[in-house]
Amino acid sequence: MRRGATVLVLGVIASGSLAAGARAQDSLPAGVRVGITYAPGARPGMTVVPLTAAVAAESVTTIVARDLDESDRFEMIGAPDTLARSGTPDLRVLGALGSAWVVSVSAQGPRVTLLLTDVRTGALHLRRDVTVGADAIPNRFEAHRAADDIVRAATATPGIAATEILFVDNGKIWRVDADGAAPTRLRTAGWPALSPAWSPDGRHMVYTAYVTDGQPLVLQDLASGERTVVPGTEYGLNITPEFSRDGRRIAFAHGTESGTDIYVYQLGAAAWQRLTVGRFADNLSPTWSPDGTRIAFISTRARTPQLYVMSADGTDPELLGRFDYGATGQTQAPAWSPDGQFIAFHRDVNGVPQLFILDADTRAVRQLTGAGRNEDPSWAPDGRHLVFTSDRSGARELWVLDIETGRVRQLTHLGGARLPAWSPALGGSTP
Amino acid sequence: MRHTVTSRPSFARGIVGAALAAAVALGCPAKPPAPAPAPQPDSAAVARARADSVRAAAQRDSVAAAARDSAAARARADSLAQQSAAQARADSVHAQVQRDTVVAPPLTASGLDSAGDAALAAPLHFDFNRSDLLAADGPLMDRKLDLLRANPRLTIEIAGNCDDRGSAEYNLALGERRAATAKRWLVAHGIADERISVVSYGEERPLDRAETEAAWAANRRDDFRVTRGAR
Repeated sequence: MRRGATVLVLGVIASGSLAAGARAQDSLPAGVRVGITYAPGARPGMTVVPLTAAVAAESVTTIVARDLDESDRFEMIGAPDTLARSGTPDLRVLGALGSAWVVSVSAQGPRVTLLLTDVRTGALHLRRDVTVGADAIPNRFEAHRAADDIVRAATATPGIAATEILFVDNGKIWRVDADGAAPTRLRTAGWPALSPAWSPDGRHMVYTAYVTDGQPLVLQDLASGERTVVPGTEYGLNITPEFSRDGRRIAFAHGTESGTDIYVYQLGAAAWQRLTVGRFADNLSPTWSPDGTRIAFISTRARTPQLYVMSADGTDPELLGRFDYGATGQTQAPAWSPDGQFIAFHRDVNGVPQLFILDADTRAVRQLTGAGRNEDPSWAPDGRHLVFTSDRSGARELWVLDIETGRVRQLTHLGGARLPAWSPALGGSTP
Repeated sequence: MRHTVTSRPSFARGIVGAALAAAVALGCPAKPPAPAPAPQPDSAAVARARADSVRAAAQRDSVAAAARDSAAARARADSLAQQSAAQARADSVHAQVQRDTVVAPPLTASGLDSAGDAALAAPLHFDFNRSDLLAADGPLMDRKLDLLRANPRLTIEIAGNCDDRGSAEYNLALGERRAATAKRWLVAHGIADERISVVSYGEERPLDRAETEAAWAANRRDDFRVTRGAR
């Protein structure tokens, strides 16, 4: 109710500038220099502009503008100085610059308010508040959530700003925000800890921990740090865990002296199911289809590690993708996309691992990288960004790739990051 | 090349020997079944002899039964001991995951002379993405086998390691296979299964961090560690 009333009031204000916006289609106001000519493409223009000089408003503008840019859904268009801090966004100017959307940012006391306006119609589409703490520092996570809500309101697709990435550096698990801020080392069991994977609710992770008497899978509460051993993994080598999307099962590989095979552990039921019988071959790196009916995995049953798929009960295994013996390199680390369309993996090309995606329907394969070693892809919840390990900067770091535009950005600067896992949307983003 | 060729025979002989030993253990019949006895004329002497033979047979059976029972009891006790050892190990894993660090296992003295110590500790090497034993390592394996045979109290852990060119996760499985291959060879040559444990460190414990052929070759290895000394 309250939100409806707000929208109504603001709608009235916005409608005042509607006529002005329409006029801006034909002529530019005198004195405004337009530095670029925006050719309308597939992506709508987006401008984020602070309407007040408050430090908090500037900070939120910076965070949200970067989030929207890194969503790769918009052509980001800078606001001229005359527009910033002017109290209201001039939709005529923005329209002339090529912006389809404007996010105006204002500060009032302990709160920064973001308004998403359709530049052409002047209609207000969204209002979000970000709380500001001591020293005018805004709540970063609320700003990320606001950015994701803006992406959804403007494009009807999910954003990825309010997410985190888990990864391994020097045998310990770390977390970092999706914009690269606040890399933090977590307290984890043993050394090394490897292959972190998120629970779908974002509250737990499961990983391999080397302790004195074994390599169990450890299930850890991310908030409290509480740890338990996945039952049955006290024995043998237990690696490459992945939660099913319903959060009720963990697929993983269990290694013994007679080979490595894929098992599924049913949480709560304390029951295991063995899915592969390798007989000295290795079967590992299971990844669930989003509907939980199939599992893609790596197997050495034909000697060179290759990508296979089977039903979630272990029946009907088949090779995925074309394979030329001696020509197709080792294939590793598959990750099924959240929308089910692609399986990302890395494959050796002339002895150097590169990222690929395979279309789950057509089985067409596309190479995504070529510079340096590129390994261990993990999908963002939007199904178009991948985080992966690359040594293109000289050391192993995490990078983010947009599979649609091919744009790449460096996420970490730590000197040894690897084995990333992108979280689901965190903190209950509102649609 | 010459080294490889000359070292092959003893290694190959070892494999054939193991195959023969396995065939015997699997219960190849030692002699053909006895033919049915021909009818004999009855007499007191024959009857006595037969009674003696029946008694003797009964005695034999009871001795055999007792031996069987005691073997079964021993097997049961062994299996219970193994189960409780496994349970204790599982319990310790639960306790260990609550810690943020790993307590390295204490160094155990082999109790062998320095030559034996060095031979037992010498690493095995592997080709890229392979887990089969190299013929060049044959003499090394023969030496380790001799030491384990001569020192029945000695127990070891074999740790498989990889270079960092494959995927980190795949290398964990590959390292496990490398350790298991060496263990299988020793067990096939008569070393008790429970005297050898295996672990894989994948690419996590390189000896040489350089990205060169020599460093990769050094990192593709099985390490041997004493878990209980010979004395």
